[in-house]
Amino acid sequence: MLQYETIFVTEPTLTEEEIDDLIKGYDGLVTSAQGKVLKVEKWGKRRLAYPILRREEGIYVLMVIESPTSFVKEIERRYRMNDRILRHLTVRVEHEAQLGPSPVMKPRPIERDEIPGDMGLAP
Amino acid sequence: MRGRKPTGDRQGRGGKKPFKKKFLFRKKKFCKFCDEKIAFIDNKDIRLMQAFTPERAKIFPRRISGTCSKHQRKIMQAIKRARTLALIPFAAD
Repeated sequence: MLQYETIFVTEPTLTEEEIDDLIKGYDGLVTSAQGKVLKVEKWGKRRLAYPILRREEGIYVLMVIESPTSFVKEIERRYRMNDRILRHLTVRVEHEAQLGPSPVMKPRPIERDEIPGDMGLAP
Repeated sequence: MRGRKPTGDRQGRGGKKPFKKKFLFRKKKFCKFCDEKIAFIDNKDIRLMQAFTPERAKIFPRRISGTCSKHQRKIMQAIKRARTLALIPFAAD
């Protein structure tokens, strides 16, 4: 059993209930594979950095799950089969910070010194 | 010390005297992540990713940012992951 962080991006036209249904579906899958869901985050509708299949927006959902290694293949396969999912990514949880709320959920003010090696190159 | 004050730009790191002529005002670069002891770089931290992909959305090179190879590798991995999720762009014009 390992912990995985899985994110998927759906079409922007999906309603709140449809998103919940999707999550519920994956939730059931995880439990049926003797795994458990540790965290679910709905980021909501976000603007995509570049258009995917002519969509300018997408609905982001993040799940942290604990499951057998073979399950990743299965969930990825299901993501690919669902044509309402535009993008997906599943990675191992490397750090406990991934179990808490993600940076997207807690917006903070931009600080000037966050720009690395700022030597007056860019304005 | 014959009444010469040290220049203001020489604070913090190093401790060695700067090179005499050309590089008098160049500050020593350092890895920001090592300095703050950041072990994990999140591919969902969009603000950090954006800070490391200025203007044309290219990854900020090590030679300019001063990031150590270990952390540069991690940030590169995180940026690439964030790109596939369309959190940050591959290229901007």
